[in-house]
Amino acid sequence: MLRVSSLSYTYPGEAGPALSDVSLEVRAGECLCITGHSGCGKTTLLLALKGLLHEGTLTGEAAIDAPPEELDSDGVGLVFQNAETQIFCSTVAEEVAFGPENLCVPPGGIGERVRRALEDVRLTGFWNRNVERLSAGQKHRLAIASVLAMRPRVLLLDEPTSQLDGIGKAQLVTVLKALKEQGYGLVVVEHDLEPFRGLVDRWVVMEEGRIRAVSDRFPAEYATEAPGSSTPPALRPSTLPPLGGGHAQDELSPVIALGDVRLSYPGVGEVLRGVELSVSRGERIHLHGRNGAGKSSLLACVAGAVGCDSGSIRVAGIEVTGRTSLFGKVGYLLQNPQRQLFESTVEEEVAFSLRRLRLPAPEVHRRVEEALDTCEAAKLADRLPLSLSFGEQHRVALASVIAPRPEVLLLDEPFSGLDLRQRRRLLAILGSLRERQATTVVIASHDPLPRRGWPDRVLTMEDGTLA
Amino acid sequence: MLDVEASARRRRARASDYGCQFRAVDSPIHRLGAGSKLAIGTSLSAAAVLAHEPWSLGAVLALNGAYYFGARLTLSDLWRDTRYLLVQMGIVVLLHGARFGVPEGLWPGLRIALQIALFFVPGVVFLRTTQASQMMRGLRKVLPYRLSFLVFTSFRFVPLFARELRQIAMAQRLRGARLGARDLLDPRSWRDAFHCLMIPLLVRALKAADEAALSAEGRGFGVRPERTYFDALLAANVPPGEARDEAVRPAPIRRGGPGASRASEPAVARGGVAGEE
Repeated sequence: MLRVSSLSYTYPGEAGPALSDVSLEVRAGECLCITGHSGCGKTTLLLALKGLLHEGTLTGEAAIDAPPEELDSDGVGLVFQNAETQIFCSTVAEEVAFGPENLCVPPGGIGERVRRALEDVRLTGFWNRNVERLSAGQKHRLAIASVLAMRPRVLLLDEPTSQLDGIGKAQLVTVLKALKEQGYGLVVVEHDLEPFRGLVDRWVVMEEGRIRAVSDRFPAEYATEAPGSSTPPALRPSTLPPLGGGHAQDELSPVIALGDVRLSYPGVGEVLRGVELSVSRGERIHLHGRNGAGKSSLLACVAGAVGCDSGSIRVAGIEVTGRTSLFGKVGYLLQNPQRQLFESTVEEEVAFSLRRLRLPAPEVHRRVEEALDTCEAAKLADRLPLSLSFGEQHRVALASVIAPRPEVLLLDEPFSGLDLRQRRRLLAILGSLRERQATTVVIASHDPLPRRGWPDRVLTMEDGTLA
Repeated sequence: MLDVEASARRRRARASDYGCQFRAVDSPIHRLGAGSKLAIGTSLSAAAVLAHEPWSLGAVLALNGAYYFGARLTLSDLWRDTRYLLVQMGIVVLLHGARFGVPEGLWPGLRIALQIALFFVPGVVFLRTTQASQMMRGLRKVLPYRLSFLVFTSFRFVPLFARELRQIAMAQRLRGARLGARDLLDPRSWRDAFHCLMIPLLVRALKAADEAALSAEGRGFGVRPERTYFDALLAANVPPGEARDEAVRPAPIRRGGPGASRASEPAVARGGVAGEE
């Protein structure tokens, strides 16, 4: 169906190629999964197949065996990673109709296309739904429907599960299975391979722009730790290392204490329903739950960014009432590091909080070095943060957050967009913080951690409560 | 439990948590063409500027009310659409009271504040009742469709960037940035607002624009000099409460390939395409 021969591509101004001599074939009703470390050329390959690389040098050939007979069809459809930025219209039907409108399909035919595409992604009846009201999983399926309405023969999906929780992934795979059985050729680029085990026919491993291996065997070395390989541990206070330098009373009292915390948003309803939680100093917590379960709201309350409606919150010895500044006590790492970087050098970025704490210059310098060392980013000190790769930006953002030595570090979906190697590296850095700074680490994530034995406790959040 | 479910149902049925977002209901205003709505909006905004007397301002207020609620928008929508205008009104009345005294300054303050608010309300109704395709169809005679699409789509990204802004502000405050409401009154803190808030937001906006442009191109936008326009609102009118996510349960799988005809299959969606052009 889709045949790619000796495809090579070099970005403008780059010395080395992003793709080198890539050849592959996708048959009708076949699903290929392309994996590999970040920067290996997976997304570039999809852009090349879709014909979206206009600059640079592209050689080789990519052809569809059976070109579409009608002018109002598209041979290859590409669904991008971020569903949010590929939705342009306010309602579901408008969004799905966008592609056929661009192909000049007569309005009479668009309605049928929209209806079929929504059926294919199991969003029947969402016709007039405002896109703001869709879950992350539904938005992704809407993005797929928007491409299906253009009647492609091959569907390319770039990291479709990166924003989805377990159920969202399962629903997506169900939809893709149905599409595969209808005869669509599927090419999925992914880091998280586990959900696709039963769907994929061939696994393609890429490395430095080249195809390293094509096999029908599951590439276990690129997959996360197998589920169930390690039981999530219960609280193990005995494993916490002895902490020095503080008062004995401080060390015994919990660093985070929540009592019957309730929070509601106007028009949304209650998002936290009587949360009780006590976290010891230096403890590692994995806050697990579906998208929308209340994880981020809980972190926002602990960070003092949102005042709870009722209940008590005590963090690092400070009573949090309403919006409370916990600067220096609590660090917060967002999912996307670009939201946190603004300085002209990495060193300045990490020093920002320390200067705001009015620390003397030698101390600032010492702590910057320490934070960059901890985050394995010392070599990047003179670089412009926004020019770094995604993984490097992640480590720099983390360094800037831990430099003031916060007692509590909160991370919201920190593994999104990172490959397995980067996830393990980040987890190792976070693991070292207990020994180095006695930092309590709370990771909110809808996925299991790359190493299941890492947290001291796994807390499951469901519908605003801790199960 | 029932309350929770009812609240969740109400929330799903609502258009958006953000103001000025399209509301997918059928109303006489929704059925008007974009050009007609622009003409009505311009007339109402002009009337708001020209109205100086209590009676004339009252009449413009009544017309705006009829226009707004005639579009089947709710009080909750009105609150979301006008809350920032209410802040503006409060400030204007307060400043007039301080400058000219009470009660002398109250009426002029209230008049100007109301005029400003009423100037914007027709624009809000336009955004609430006009689909992207309708807007582009309406403006295609005076603007290239690429440009009108750009203008209209930018409103779709308002909620996304509002969320981004909140997230960035929260994280940067924890890094010591002076971004609190009180801090913003101090000009010395404005540098932080630009530096710590606007730079990351700008970077995110550029990245989002880049992704959106690629996605639009991938879906054929701009490939042809013209395009067709589909009225999704007229094509099917499914009450939001009846929408169901079928991926949560197995569904029959169709055979026959991506291009196969499914004309013989029963339509699952309610409504039809009778209203299509």
